[in-house]
Amino acid sequence: MIINPIGVAALSQREILRFLSVASQTIFPPIVTSILYLYIFGVAIGQRVDFSYFGLSYLNFIIPGIMTMHIISSAYENTSSSLFIARWHNHIQEVLLAPLSYFEMVLGLLAGGVARGVLVAVGVFTVASFFTPVAILHPCVLVYFVLTISVIFSCAGMIGALWAEDFSMLNLWHIYLIVPAIFMGGVFHPLQILPRMVQVISVFNPMYYLVSGMRYSLTGVSDVPLASCAVFSFFMTFSFFFVTVYLFKIGYKLRT
Amino acid sequence: MRNSEIAISLLKVTKFYNKLQALDNVSFEVKRGDFFAFLGPNGAGKTTTINCLTGLSNHQSGEIKVFGYDATRDYVQSRRLIGLCAQEFNFDPFLTIHQLLVYQAGYFGILPMEASRRADALLARFQLTEKRNCKHRALSGGMKKRLLLCRALIHDPEILILDEPTAGCDLELKFLIWDYLAQLNKEGKTIFLTTHNMEEAEKLCKTIGIINHGKIVRIGDKKTVLQDKSLEAVFLEVTGAE
Repeated sequence: MIINPIGVAALSQREILRFLSVASQTIFPPIVTSILYLYIFGVAIGQRVDFSYFGLSYLNFIIPGIMTMHIISSAYENTSSSLFIARWHNHIQEVLLAPLSYFEMVLGLLAGGVARGVLVAVGVFTVASFFTPVAILHPCVLVYFVLTISVIFSCAGMIGALWAEDFSMLNLWHIYLIVPAIFMGGVFHPLQILPRMVQVISVFNPMYYLVSGMRYSLTGVSDVPLASCAVFSFFMTFSFFFVTVYLFKIGYKLRT
Repeated sequence: MRNSEIAISLLKVTKFYNKLQALDNVSFEVKRGDFFAFLGPNGAGKTTTINCLTGLSNHQSGEIKVFGYDATRDYVQSRRLIGLCAQEFNFDPFLTIHQLLVYQAGYFGILPMEASRRADALLARFQLTEKRNCKHRALSGGMKKRLLLCRALIHDPEILILDEPTAGCDLELKFLIWDYLAQLNKEGKTIFLTTHNMEEAEKLCKTIGIINHGKIVRIGDKKTVLQDKSLEAVFLEVTGAE
């Protein structure tokens, strides 16, 4: 329950303005990278890939995955860097001393990650529209997945920022866990083309469900039933959110 | 705020940093409107006490209350009543000093218009108006001290906790801060001051508590604690320092 809405709004505003003030480092790079992915994989290589059995062009197949990949990276990077720097400079005390419940603190801090994730998703979608007509077959499903993915990885970023002791540790999860999982989660390929063994392993990859959910929302096509993707992302969202609130409550690396 | 005449109450508070005991059954009370000096040598437990009181540290046992609100259970209510002027300069490096104060007020539930008005008034009071749109890195050490005070006061707290507020200040700034603190206390604010400056404590405070090795070794009103001696002499006597 929110008992200090002005406090949450102030914290959210600070987090959102922080990344907007450096948009050239936070918003535009994923959009530029998306253009490169779309051109090289979607246009240059994709035109030579026969994807007709999937009912989509290869370019249309990879757009939802690229959107998911950048939502994840943006949300994670936003909260992890913001919270870690606040710990590093110790101005996290400004928040810890405030009359905000731990639930409200997490809500305010993740607002930046969610807003950045949403903005990047809109940006990637917009540039993709210049390459090929992109329809949104299920807009509500799209909103659901964009928001849940943003919340999950904003919370993951905060957990990473609490765990990290220095800047090198801050990106470990992202580099060695999240990025490989995204690439193996069906951004550029359908599960069916992988060897049987890898297919079995992929079923345990959380990104696979998130990418599939996003793909369904745009194209109506998915490797996995929508209900499984939706339930999975809902469960992940609540789990990550409440773990983060719990870490704030016990003061994990925040209080001595 | 609960109708309590006791602003701060600690009862048998114990705090360990791993195996090191920083606070050992610390108990004391600070009355509403008091000007309380909390003294002790380096590492005695002054900042740890403040951190436990404000929720920046977890204590292992004991009870801390702020105007009757339990600092652990009712932390939202108790934090609303406290303004902390910390020892270190821990400002958000991305914000101007005006933004910094407005956001801080926002966290305490103050709307932006009112927050901006208060920020401007405090910046003027502490002669920082010219630096309004600068980031804290552009300020001198003394200006940063004043900014810490502004931040602690932006939500008009009932209790002002000051952790060595005049350390490293020149004489002019020290007197400015002393005058302001005396005025705030006269207006009814409860002030909790830690300092190594005996003159400061003796001049400003009504009640004195001395902590050493995590234990309260002397506490009482100024007259009782001093007993016609200087504060420095009493301090050396009870802390065993030479």
